[in-house]
Amino acid sequence: MQPDLQGPWSPLLGRLSLAAIPYDNPILVGTFLVVSVVALALVGAVFYFGKLGYLWRNWLTTVDHKKIGVMYIILGLVMLLRGFFDGVMMRTQQLLADGPDSAGYMGAAHGYLPPHHFDQIYTAHGTLMLFFAATPLVAGFGNIIIPLQLGARDMAFPYLNAVSFWLTFAAAMLCMVSLFVGEFSNATWVGLMPLSEMSSNPGVGVDYWMWAFQISSLGTTFNSINMIATIVKMRAPGLTWFRLTPYCWSSLATNIIGLTAFPVVTVALTLLGFDRYFGTHFFTAGYGGNFMLYINLFWIWGHPEVYFLMLPAFGLFSEIVPTFSNKTLFGYPTMVAASFSIAGIGWVVWAHHFFTMGMGPNLNGYFSAATMIVGIPTGVKAFNWLFTMYRGKITFTSPMLWAMTGIVLLLIGGLTGMMLSASVVDYTVHDSLFVVAHFHCMVLVIGSALFAATIYWWPKVFGFKLDEKNAQIFFWVFVIASLLVFVPMFELGLAGVTRRLDYIYNAALKPLLWVTEVGIILYFVSLYYFVKMLVVSLLRREPAAADSWGTGRSLEWLTHTPVPFYNFAVTPEIHSREEAAWRRDRGLDTARPTEYVDIHMPSNTGVPFVLGVLSFVWGFALIWRIDWLVEITTLAMVVTVILRAFDKNEGYVIPAAQIARYEAKIATASVVADVADEAPAGALEV
Amino acid sequence: MRIWRNLGLLAPLALAGCSVHDLRLFFPAGPMADVEFHYTWLMVVTMLIVIVPTLVMTIVFPLRYHHSRNAKYTPNWDFSAVIEVLAWGIPLAIVLPLCYMTIKAVNALDPWNPPALAGQGSGGAPVNVEVVATDWQWVFIYPDQKIATIDELVVPAGRRVNLTMTATSNMNGFYIPQVAPMVDAMPAMQSKDAFIIDKPGQFTGFSTDFSGAGFSWMQFQTKAVTDAGFAAWVQGVQAGAPALDYPTFTAKIAPAQVNYGAKISEFTLADPKLFDEVMAAAMMGKVYPVPPALDDSVNLAAATPAGQ
Repeated sequence: MQPDLQGPWSPLLGRLSLAAIPYDNPILVGTFLVVSVVALALVGAVFYFGKLGYLWRNWLTTVDHKKIGVMYIILGLVMLLRGFFDGVMMRTQQLLADGPDSAGYMGAAHGYLPPHHFDQIYTAHGTLMLFFAATPLVAGFGNIIIPLQLGARDMAFPYLNAVSFWLTFAAAMLCMVSLFVGEFSNATWVGLMPLSEMSSNPGVGVDYWMWAFQISSLGTTFNSINMIATIVKMRAPGLTWFRLTPYCWSSLATNIIGLTAFPVVTVALTLLGFDRYFGTHFFTAGYGGNFMLYINLFWIWGHPEVYFLMLPAFGLFSEIVPTFSNKTLFGYPTMVAASFSIAGIGWVVWAHHFFTMGMGPNLNGYFSAATMIVGIPTGVKAFNWLFTMYRGKITFTSPMLWAMTGIVLLLIGGLTGMMLSASVVDYTVHDSLFVVAHFHCMVLVIGSALFAATIYWWPKVFGFKLDEKNAQIFFWVFVIASLLVFVPMFELGLAGVTRRLDYIYNAALKPLLWVTEVGIILYFVSLYYFVKMLVVSLLRREPAAADSWGTGRSLEWLTHTPVPFYNFAVTPEIHSREEAAWRRDRGLDTARPTEYVDIHMPSNTGVPFVLGVLSFVWGFALIWRIDWLVEITTLAMVVTVILRAFDKNEGYVIPAAQIARYEAKIATASVVADVADEAPAGALEV
Repeated sequence: MRIWRNLGLLAPLALAGCSVHDLRLFFPAGPMADVEFHYTWLMVVTMLIVIVPTLVMTIVFPLRYHHSRNAKYTPNWDFSAVIEVLAWGIPLAIVLPLCYMTIKAVNALDPWNPPALAGQGSGGAPVNVEVVATDWQWVFIYPDQKIATIDELVVPAGRRVNLTMTATSNMNGFYIPQVAPMVDAMPAMQSKDAFIIDKPGQFTGFSTDFSGAGFSWMQFQTKAVTDAGFAAWVQGVQAGAPALDYPTFTAKIAPAQVNYGAKISEFTLADPKLFDEVMAAAMMGKVYPVPPALDDSVNLAAATPAGQ
């Protein structure tokens, strides 16, 4: 039934045995100890402070888009940290390994990591950073901001929103478990074929990668459906299409990509699953399999995925730059057009990821030209941000500094990206560190947008601002560190150094590796200031105003800070593209409604959490081929979904009088967090 | 064409203590790399026409319109048809010539028969080499000379070299910076590449597409020698080297023996159809199991196969 399966297998435990636990690897044992201590401390704290009920009622079962957004962001930041440590380990290995004759540490031939461990680390680095750091962070900000900018109570499908999150969370936990039970894939985050097939990778590593990827992309697809429905259907009265904020526009473009591109990778991974579990030959080298098919399918998803992450970052800049220039966004209609151009062209450029695979000059020429055309709308975006600053009144707050850095990085990443898009240049630097430096430039654009957004919207979500001094120190240290890490990488690429090497054969390049290592140490310093920023601000907790920055332009700055669970006391009437600025100009921004109406809210539900747990167990059982457990969890998920379909609960209503009481309390209290905690979880049902 | 090289020397200003000569891509050694290098610089300079002013604007605008400067302030100015036409038009005006250049260049470098090589070199008879990327060595077969090597590619300078490539089990990228464009060598498939090296010299080639645990050791020495030197080398190998047939080949390239340090071996070719046999075997699904010690941290693929 399971062809090609090597090693022991038992009906009860599948491939799982004590040998699967890498207790002989000091690095993993150390990591395990740290992770378990932190996890135990967290669980202990929850019980010690008696917060289990609170956790369950207010977070694990929540359908509130803001809380789900916050959970997405926490997940993203934790995974960002793990991905960062993976990066540190990779570069340190390259620094220590001098080649075949150098001394090795900890049993490695050279450096301190044997090849299979090194290969798992960079595979995990790519997988985690893209699927479990960048994607959740982007989804988290979308969750928090979009319903607020639309004047909506919640997402169009609050339950589905929670399902998306818990699926992503389950997938991330599968990646974490792979550290301590079994191994992770060593065949790169893109899943090189036929290297990911059973013939080259008989262990469970590729299965971990495949199922984590599969489950999280399912979550992302659901999230895209939800975002599109929300933006199309949940707009407040008066919010016509051309009053939509630039962020909502770019999110719409992004999620159209998400909805159309993610199913492609789902299919590709399913076919790989057939290969690995049933012995088919879709992507093998022999027996008529065609691994080029996988590479095409993967990048038909993969390149739109790049813009799936990039467009929200552009949208965030389009919100932040006008706020801190105290000026309206320049060229709004062409910004919208540019977003959709990028999204559209992003679909027809995928083959530039494998110019060297032997395509003829016509194909390579077409894909080069198509890729270069993406540069036009991207350039338009940069120009429009610059002309938003032009004749503005600019303040250099940390979000603005990040946005400006983002534009500079976009220019450098754009220059190198245009170089790589020319297949003639790609023939010399394909799969080199030049490419690595280029796309890190681009993900740092996304990173800049996310750091900017974190600081910018933090008060809206938590009610107090982050400490500006530490935010700025963090900014400068991080930017200098990035320069030290990635400038040498461009040079290494021009020296002909390939990516994914566990040692660099040309010892003369060692100084550049040292510069990179210094940059990495500086990243640790920046991490210290990031944490310090959080701690200092958390201890101080000065209440922020509704319009926390004084120059907010979009709708969310009109409601309370922090946002109450019902978002707006009365659904706002929209008059302008920049509603907050419009009302401020007319002295209406502090006006409060005099009359309230009943608010219909969705009830909390534990079903998404249960589905998340079940999909985690299901994935784990599939990876270790524990057949009975796969069957039970599959059945349990189907039954859960069917039962949920018969749930007649249509949410609950907050009576107008109750809203009036909340609003009065918010107006007098200095700290309003307790109002959010009063959210009746499913009480007062219809 | 090589005027760009002088410009190239200016680029690595931040090169901390390394020799400029380590930036190999700035020192093309044959017509193929000349074309690549030429177009790289042409395109970069073309793009800088728009990138540099934009960078200047990114720095000047925020400083000029900082709130402390009391510069002109137009909070509601949100559209200018002229600026928008320029914002779309200038990138378009840059991208169109870039598209033209890249299409022209990629046609000149068509690896199946590169026009860039036409009329170049000394005009001597081309050397045909069949390349097999294995886990994790390079086997070079000279069908006309009836010899083969591992991790050593010796070619006569000035003469065209035609490569026909495949791989035993995983995808690899064949690349010699300064010499030959990168083209993938893939199992059960055949790809081509071609180059001329102008002058005698040594170049390290390697695999660029990750292929497993021994990937980092996949360097090979490329030696461009004189015509006479090449003939002498061929004769030397023909006279003294052991024979390579398909069974010897499979034993020699088994992944258990990672070629640490890319040590060179030379053979006489006992089996003229060796390349075709490797292709046929890959098509029929031949696998070269990777020993657990190299590829598997927790010994899952231990000795006993399932159900036995």
